[in-house]
Amino acid sequence: MSDAWRLLDTGTQPAAYNMALERVILTARSRGLIPNTLHFLEFTPSALVGYHQSVPLEVEEDYCLHHGIEINRRVSGGGAIYVDEGVLGWELVACKDTPGIPGRLDDMYRLLCEGAVAGLARLGVAARFRPKNDIEVEGRKISGTGGAEAGNALIYHGTVLNDFDVETMIRCLRLPIAKLDDKQVQSFKERVVSLREVLGSLPSMPAIKQAMAVGFASVLGIRLEAGALTEQEKKLLEQELPLFQSGDWIWGTRQLQDSSLSTVDYKTPGGLIRVTLTLDRTRRRIRYAFITGDFFAYPERSILDLEAALKNASCEPGDLLQTVRGFFNAHQVRIPGITPDDFFYALQTAVYPTGRGREQSFKTAESSAGR
Amino acid sequence: MQLDKWLVPEDLHYDRKDYWVQPAAGEVVIGLTAYGQSVAGDVLYLELPPVGTLVRRGEVSGSIESGKWVGGLAPPVSGMVVEVNSDLEADPAGVNQDPYGAGWLIKVKLTDLSELDDLLSPGAYREWIEEQIRREREEAAVL
Repeated sequence: MSDAWRLLDTGTQPAAYNMALERVILTARSRGLIPNTLHFLEFTPSALVGYHQSVPLEVEEDYCLHHGIEINRRVSGGGAIYVDEGVLGWELVACKDTPGIPGRLDDMYRLLCEGAVAGLARLGVAARFRPKNDIEVEGRKISGTGGAEAGNALIYHGTVLNDFDVETMIRCLRLPIAKLDDKQVQSFKERVVSLREVLGSLPSMPAIKQAMAVGFASVLGIRLEAGALTEQEKKLLEQELPLFQSGDWIWGTRQLQDSSLSTVDYKTPGGLIRVTLTLDRTRRRIRYAFITGDFFAYPERSILDLEAALKNASCEPGDLLQTVRGFFNAHQVRIPGITPDDFFYALQTAVYPTGRGREQSFKTAESSAGR
Repeated sequence: MQLDKWLVPEDLHYDRKDYWVQPAAGEVVIGLTAYGQSVAGDVLYLELPPVGTLVRRGEVSGSIESGKWVGGLAPPVSGMVVEVNSDLEADPAGVNQDPYGAGWLIKVKLTDLSELDDLLSPGAYREWIEEQIRREREEAAVL
């Protein structure tokens, strides 16, 4: 990867502008109009859903309306996020056949996230990549990532939580915390962590960008040259912006989907496991798992890692049993008085909160787990 | 990772974007190959072009999401969509579980039969997969 990449910084912009610009740069790259690009962007308060998500299912629209939070839709996949002035966005836009960028998605995620990890390391943050595509510090998420492609070009982007407003996040997004008490809400907030919290003080935005740029450049083996949007990109942006400002784009119902919330308390000899799940019952998948309780897990972060492993996992009994057992087989976790299967039963109870389906699921899980 | 892990049925045509094509009397059924679905990973969302859409070879006419990645569906032949596997739009798991059966994507009435001649034979597609696996190995060695 010896050719220079463009380093582009478009500063703070409204949600529709930022989302439209992502598509514009991707399109421009796929048409060969621009070189590969590392783009930094900053946000006014915005709730951004993933490409296939439904706004009413993911966003508290009234709250956003009354608090000046713009709603928009990303070109990339994944879940809804809240971003504001305390978040730095980074994105890599490249030709798919750029030497060194893996074709298999999981390998590509790892490599590109390692670039962000190297940048964070330069700031003194010991972050790590967590499959499939999070960057975490002690199990707590500091950067979420996602991507998309168009023609022969790809975009892979993420955020760095500099000084994150978690209070606004939990109010403007529809998260699985409606029925939780204060202590559990606090525990939920601790699933994410900001640079300010890790470092004790916040480096300046230029210093953060500089560190991230050097991190990406070193891992990808590339040279960065500062550049600006080209005239062609500006023209494309003028053309795309009206769509990204339209209700069709923002609220367009793209998919049959549902989101149901289920919370259960499951008693074990080692203590209570409280599981809160948001489920997509149409697709039979766990959208989000939140696990608390009065048990002790060593290391403490293992429960956060288990939650990450459950994200988007199938909730079919056999699959779920495999996911849970697979997780505990792969990680050194000690939880006195609780077995991996207890977590499976707690999760299954949340998936099938009423009697019959539940018993059935216990019976079928064992027989189908070995498939 | 071995080639024999990925089924390449003898009675289908293929392209380098990992679609299979099954012709029958001017129409074709299109799906993702076993290798193609493995590269994408677990499919979470699928948006297929509605019946009546004119699709053009290689042009994006739908989307597929797996692991926070949104990819485009670009059919390997041109024509009009005459049937869509609507089961998949509710639950796209079939793409992973049964790529050559329940996981088929769309049925297209061809506008240009000669496009079929440009597709790969099973043997040529196997060679293409081998090439990709070699590339993956090299990349994995670098990581």
